[in-house]
Amino acid sequence: MTLVDELVAILGSERVTVDQFALHLYSKDAGASRGHADVVVFPHTSEEVAAVVRLAAARGVPIVPRGAGTGLAAGAVPNEGGIVVSTTRMNQIHEVDPVNQTAWVGPGVINLDLSVATAIHGLHFAPDPSSQSVCTVGGNVASNSGGPHCLAEGSTVAHILAVEVVLADGETITVGSGAPDPIGLDVRGVLVGSEGTLGLVTRTLVRLLPNPPDVRTLLLAFDTVEAAASTVSGVIAAGVVPAALEMMDQRMAIAVENWLHAGLPVDAAALLLAEVVGETAAVDAEADVIRRVAAECGAASVSLAADEDERALLWKGRKSAFGAVAQAAPDYYLHDTVVPRTRLVETMASIYEIADRYRLVMMNVFHAGDGNLHPLIAFDSADPDETQRVHQAAQEMVEVCVSRGGVLSGEHGIGLEKRDLMPLLFTPTDLDAQARLKECFDPTGVFNPTKILPEGSRCFDLGSRFVPEGAWV
Amino acid sequence: MSSRDATAAEHDVTTAEMPDDRVTPTTEEEVAELLSEATETGRRVGVWGGGTHRDMGYATESDLVISTAGLAGIVDWEPDDLTVVVRAGTPIVELEEELRRGGQSAILPEQPGAATVGGVVATGVSAYARLRYGPTRDRMLEVRAVTGDGRLVKGGGRVVKNVTGYDLPRLFTGSFGSLGVITSVCLKLWPLTEATATVRLTEVPPLRLVHRPRAMLETAEGVRILLSGTGPEVEDQIRRLGGEATSGFDYPAPLDGPLVWSLRIRPGLLGDALARLPSGADFVAQHGVGEVAFTAPVDFDIADLRGWAEGEGGAVVRLRGTSAADPWGTPPPALEIQRRIIAAFDPRRIIEVGRLPGRI
Repeated sequence: MTLVDELVAILGSERVTVDQFALHLYSKDAGASRGHADVVVFPHTSEEVAAVVRLAAARGVPIVPRGAGTGLAAGAVPNEGGIVVSTTRMNQIHEVDPVNQTAWVGPGVINLDLSVATAIHGLHFAPDPSSQSVCTVGGNVASNSGGPHCLAEGSTVAHILAVEVVLADGETITVGSGAPDPIGLDVRGVLVGSEGTLGLVTRTLVRLLPNPPDVRTLLLAFDTVEAAASTVSGVIAAGVVPAALEMMDQRMAIAVENWLHAGLPVDAAALLLAEVVGETAAVDAEADVIRRVAAECGAASVSLAADEDERALLWKGRKSAFGAVAQAAPDYYLHDTVVPRTRLVETMASIYEIADRYRLVMMNVFHAGDGNLHPLIAFDSADPDETQRVHQAAQEMVEVCVSRGGVLSGEHGIGLEKRDLMPLLFTPTDLDAQARLKECFDPTGVFNPTKILPEGSRCFDLGSRFVPEGAWV
Repeated sequence: MSSRDATAAEHDVTTAEMPDDRVTPTTEEEVAELLSEATETGRRVGVWGGGTHRDMGYATESDLVISTAGLAGIVDWEPDDLTVVVRAGTPIVELEEELRRGGQSAILPEQPGAATVGGVVATGVSAYARLRYGPTRDRMLEVRAVTGDGRLVKGGGRVVKNVTGYDLPRLFTGSFGSLGVITSVCLKLWPLTEATATVRLTEVPPLRLVHRPRAMLETAEGVRILLSGTGPEVEDQIRRLGGEATSGFDYPAPLDGPLVWSLRIRPGLLGDALARLPSGADFVAQHGVGEVAFTAPVDFDIADLRGWAEGEGGAVVRLRGTSAADPWGTPPPALEIQRRIIAAFDPRRIIEVGRLPGRI
């Protein structure tokens, strides 16, 4: 039997596709690279996933797990061919436990759907990537997604209590617990953010947070990017950690305003969107602190969203910013790096300089509160020269961030996109340790091969001579 | 800021005595040399921080004890970044005292005794304030450690948000030295709040009467709700809770007794758990979190309580003392993967051998 025949035997013909259009769609994610899917499957249960994984392992075919495909780091690109396993049909919210403020959910559940479904209990799932209306919880787990509100609440990993995962040998295990501090090594913590390279998560126990009793959302306008960045640092220094603290530069504000008519001040060099949540007395006091700091930093204007509609419009402007870029050029390259908050101003200056030097149209909308930059370069991929310049500029931007004490990715992941930049941050020994960790889960490289770690990472054999005979390393 | 939690050191918890036969390296390179040599000679190594959690897990035997006391001090503290890089041997009391001067906290255990940063991370213990701020592991941004076979390995980074490779900082949290010696960590910090208060009540209030309190602790004496926030917010919360309020954090006295256990359960079952404790036990229950630390007579049979807790997906683990009963209980599923991970970091298996559940 062929691979496809065997997959059909497991899943039935409707949930196995080799249709050319489907293979085309599933051969890339929301980033720029394209691979080649041999076949795409849509399992419903962890048993089906396990059967598919066993088959792939037996045939030596890669498994590429895929959620909604909104990733930007090519983490879901089947660059080595193989079986793309879409989790979109494992989209059940199995159980919501309002007393313990948790829910067991399938990996294909859409992020926003989860918060909508738990709103009846006054609860929500805190990670809120811009793509939250389409991205999946499984994808969030794989890339340890962030979003504006992880400034105060942490990234996805802080909201995942347990995962059921199918390992490379087809075994299904559950790690973590709804009880605090499960005993033994934190395997759950390693699986979150592993970009589908260690196993395929088939169920997740998520932590839900109580919806805050009150909220204040402020829009602050500045004449310089520096003044906006100083306000970010100043607010934190004043002892306030807002729920979200987002920055948008003038170019992005113009693009969004043209498209959405949200009333953004387009004459300002930079805008800050700040949100504080909690008890009424707390949010009033914290909003005052933000206003005061902004005034001290020379804010041109400060306005408070008067009601939920105004607040929703401001957030719509923020979260749909990337769509607005279509006006500028057919394609965009969205970057994701992090620098220490105190290095924001100088890093922004360097990033503008790089974009100008490469003659590129760049806009910025990003999570300023945690130093997570998202320079967005609009370009036309039909122009090979421009495309080349985009890639060169992108690499320089990463190097600048790392030289300022930053890291390669804050929330999108490494995937293929930044794999070869890992040595900027890690020594060969560090990378070797990570490669060994990968081998613990997936010794034959079934899951999402060639992602995260550059080729040759497993270079050290320092310890292997000490391995006792028969030990499984 | 109240002064009550500035005096955490007053409440010393029991500290095990550090063996005399120990080495105290002062650099990562020295640690690497020691471990590399021990791996070659097959000498078993123990790791020692403050000695406050030596009773957790199986007792281990060692030919060599590495104390982290020589690896102490703050390496880098950027208040505006809300991060600190601190060496493993730094006592919690000293770190928090220094951070407090800058108006910040790493939200580490409030009654640490002699505990060190490395020890708290290695044992994965958390502050009462975890109800509001999450457990210690959620503040782990970067780890530097020497593996069992002497490799110096770094994971994570010194920024508050990071998805760059596998999450070694979390893997090392709660690893009980089984992967190697943690030499330094970067922790996420929080600003101290303007106002703090403790409200004493006779009963646990409805979970969401106040939004995300700092801690809700129950002892035999009653319930304490720890609050922190802006002045008007805390005042308003005190009013809503009723009861008797004092400013500052009034923590329960550390549990005193030869044997202290920790029961961990889904928070909604905490009431059931309390009803099952041995009669007359002293206890501190963390509502909303799902942990009860309690004292038990040495001859108390833990089996029934443990059976119930494990049946509900929880555990009963020993915090202090020696017991005939197993310190961990039933090992977690998928022990094989844990064994492989340990072998990847400590191939000859020389460091804190057999301390973890399953004696791996």
